[in-house]
Amino acid sequence: MTALLEVSDLSKAYPVGRRGLFRRRTMQALAGVSLSIAPGEVLGLVGESGSGKSTIGKAVLRLIEPETGSIRFDGRDLRALSTEELRAARKDMQIIFQDPYASLDPRKTVRAALAEALDTHGLHTGQRRTPRLNELVQMVGLSPQALDRRPHEFSGGQRQRIGIARALAVEPRFIVADEAVSALDVSIQAQILNLLADLRARTGISILFISHDLSVVRFISDRVMVLYLGRVMELGPADRIHFAPRHPYTAALVSAEPSLAPRQARIRLTGEIPSPMNPPSGCVFRTRCPYALPECAQAVPALRPAGEGQLTACIRDDILS
Amino acid sequence: MSLSLPKPMRLPSLILLALVMTLVFGPMIMSADPISISVKDRMALPSWSHWLGQDEFGRDRLARVLYGGRVSLTVAFLASVIACVVGTLFGLIGAYFRGPFEFVTMRLSDVVLCFPPILLALLVVTLFGPGVTTLVAVLSVLYFPAFARIAFSEALRVAALDFVEAARALGAAPRRIVLRTVLPNILGPISVQFSLTAAASITIESGLSFLGLGVVPPAPSWGQMIRGARAFMNQDPTGILVPCAALTLTIWSINFFCDRLRDTLDPKHGESAGKDEIAKARADAAAAAAGPAQILDADVVAQVKDLRLALPRPEGPLALIDGVTLTLRQNECTALVGESGSGKSLTSLALMGLLPSAIRPAGGRILIHRKTGGTVDLATLGERETEDLRGNDVAMIFQEPMTSLNPIHRIGAQMIEAIRAHKAISAEEARARAVELLDLVGIPEAGRRIDSYPHELSGGMRQRVMIAMALSGEPKLMIADEPTTALDVTIQAEIVELLQRLRQEYAAGMSLLFISHNLGIVAEIADQIAVMYAGEVVEQGPAAEVLATPHHPYTRALLDSMPSAHEDLHSSRGDRLAAIAGTPARPEARPSGCAFRDRCPQARPCCAESRPELYPTGTRAARCFFAPGADQPQEREAGA
Repeated sequence: MTALLEVSDLSKAYPVGRRGLFRRRTMQALAGVSLSIAPGEVLGLVGESGSGKSTIGKAVLRLIEPETGSIRFDGRDLRALSTEELRAARKDMQIIFQDPYASLDPRKTVRAALAEALDTHGLHTGQRRTPRLNELVQMVGLSPQALDRRPHEFSGGQRQRIGIARALAVEPRFIVADEAVSALDVSIQAQILNLLADLRARTGISILFISHDLSVVRFISDRVMVLYLGRVMELGPADRIHFAPRHPYTAALVSAEPSLAPRQARIRLTGEIPSPMNPPSGCVFRTRCPYALPECAQAVPALRPAGEGQLTACIRDDILS
Repeated sequence: MSLSLPKPMRLPSLILLALVMTLVFGPMIMSADPISISVKDRMALPSWSHWLGQDEFGRDRLARVLYGGRVSLTVAFLASVIACVVGTLFGLIGAYFRGPFEFVTMRLSDVVLCFPPILLALLVVTLFGPGVTTLVAVLSVLYFPAFARIAFSEALRVAALDFVEAARALGAAPRRIVLRTVLPNILGPISVQFSLTAAASITIESGLSFLGLGVVPPAPSWGQMIRGARAFMNQDPTGILVPCAALTLTIWSINFFCDRLRDTLDPKHGESAGKDEIAKARADAAAAAAGPAQILDADVVAQVKDLRLALPRPEGPLALIDGVTLTLRQNECTALVGESGSGKSLTSLALMGLLPSAIRPAGGRILIHRKTGGTVDLATLGERETEDLRGNDVAMIFQEPMTSLNPIHRIGAQMIEAIRAHKAISAEEARARAVELLDLVGIPEAGRRIDSYPHELSGGMRQRVMIAMALSGEPKLMIADEPTTALDVTIQAEIVELLQRLRQEYAAGMSLLFISHNLGIVAEIADQIAVMYAGEVVEQGPAAEVLATPHHPYTRALLDSMPSAHEDLHSSRGDRLAAIAGTPARPEARPSGCAFRDRCPQARPCCAESRPELYPTGTRAARCFFAPGADQPQEREAGA
């Protein structure tokens, strides 16, 4: 199966603070990240704050401009598109945001918000507009009466459904879900996860699912990518990453996950997440890694195959198996 | 003017409208001419034909005030409109496109703001000669920066919101995003600025006319009337009083309108309870609490008994907390679990005596066992005593440590202040104590870190500082309101461990009330659990038992909907999580009978008829007709 989205060697640095005498200080948000998503696939991105997961989500949609790297969507190089071409290409790629309160214009009714999406790409005009709007709200589990209400009349979970309906309005083939269930109550979170799973099953949409919650990512994703300080630590099938991690950072994340089951010994990480403005040399995780060796500081470890279908950026084979 | 104007806007709108109507239509229905001179009637007193008398040239004063007001208002309105439109456009474009546009907008504003307004006006008028056109031009240039800056900063804020990003992601054109999405969302502050500007323009216009640089005589204007009457102030005080009164009235009515408009547009505006009402509510509660003396078991640190909280509304009070009873014991961690709006945070704020002023106690009592011995009822305490209780007996840590620490003070200074507020010790001793506490909560190099500012610490470290501060008064009860929710998983696990360790090693006997929506964390830390739904406790008991075999359908559903509780399920295999249908009941739309019945998979007709009680069985209790402790559930079922 050919990939729908193919990203290679994506890097992004943000300028921080004032220009120094000779150089500007920068914060490396992403360093050489490559990923691909097949049609109908859900790729999970996990990592703690500062890992660069949201930056990836916005960079692949070109909502922020990466420094280097190529983004190919359906065979086309997104970075080579003109502004006009990019606007047209946005029909195929949409985003769902974390905060259901900030992601909807408080002054627009649901109908206006959805109609704006359709108008932008000249879809379902005239007679076909109303049936399409009804279909959209029903697809996300709301009633057509919801169309004439404004966001403040809805609960957080319902707003998130409206945000999903807006993303689906233009019939995209790919959606970035950026912490889309993180702000929701547990009972509502399960509803939205089921909704996304249904949509994927029914429409074959591809999803880049970004979250800090490992168990949520494991449930929804086919493959999971673990990020730390802008670099890929591990990539592999969701269940393998969760139950048989091959990178010490993934193992630490999984073991820190609060769980109802009596927990196995937690892998303790020492120290703080280093500042992205001054990341450690070699393996960025080595300053907190309980298994770090002197060699870890020498060179940035490349992703290499390990376990069943996994890729890990750790030079040691003797610690987790 | 539509009748749907919010109530506080009606009076100012009416006054302003009356004023504008008088100035616009007044001159049309009166016969007097504002510029016809009649030397023999100089400074004549008010008469039937000249209600306000005549001025130093014998002109009708009423006519001059009305015509002058027209000029003032026209100048102010035109200048404000031009400044508003141009300034807002500059601000919007500068904020949305940034780069060179931002530079032009901001520098242009800076240049104009460098000149004192009157001086600039004087300069321009001197160069181009006085007159209405010059006045409008000068005032619009003067007030352009105010609009540009407000539009810029507001647009910057709005443009960072997700819905603007969503519009970009949809592929909408920039012009459409700026005008249709950003602009409507910044209109509030701009309209307030507009009315402020209009008022200010009237003042400046009058000032310039007074100096002879504004409206050209003999055309009337308020500033000119003052100028003319000034020389004869002693003989004819009316001459100066009339235009001054007109000026004052106009500016007052515009400002009155602005104030109310700002209040109305502020989304946070609400009627807060006056001091008297709070005092009255406290007196009521005190009277209600003055029952027989309360004695708590020796190991009970605090007890919430049948707590009821309500939000007063015109149509009757809205119950937010409905009969919550909690017993917090020494050496125990009680978890208060529930979704947003379930009332868990309100209950904890009530324990601290920190309820929002709009919320009223409607019943029940909160008893706290003080360190000094004796039990107090929170409702009977005055403001001073409650403050003394906070920190000394009850301390609290919050979800977001950055907003709970003062960003402009070093953490050491904040801690020393907290320590000395409860203990009469010297600053050096307090500092030593602060270092000791920071060390205790696992801050490396505490002696050095004590001089850091909050922003220099990571989120996890800030939460540790908050915990150290809460411990400084050696409280018997610590309330932790979602203390780990804002933190990363690895840091979250460390904070939970720290709280556990502190309870065992340091503060022996301290009771911990842990508020969370995350059942995984609760399973790790809690001894007792109370599950809340729609302002009621629906299930309580020992945490391990409740989580292993929940009796209430809500508790069971919560557990079932957690992905971490179902590691065997995966969406790609077509598995679904057992989600709870619907949304949590809102206080104003609470179902009759059992609050959970409209989402409950087991609901029967009897659930709608009466409210279930919290039926006890052994150490546990559940608020469900079909819970083990309920009286003959089978009969109810059969009868239904």
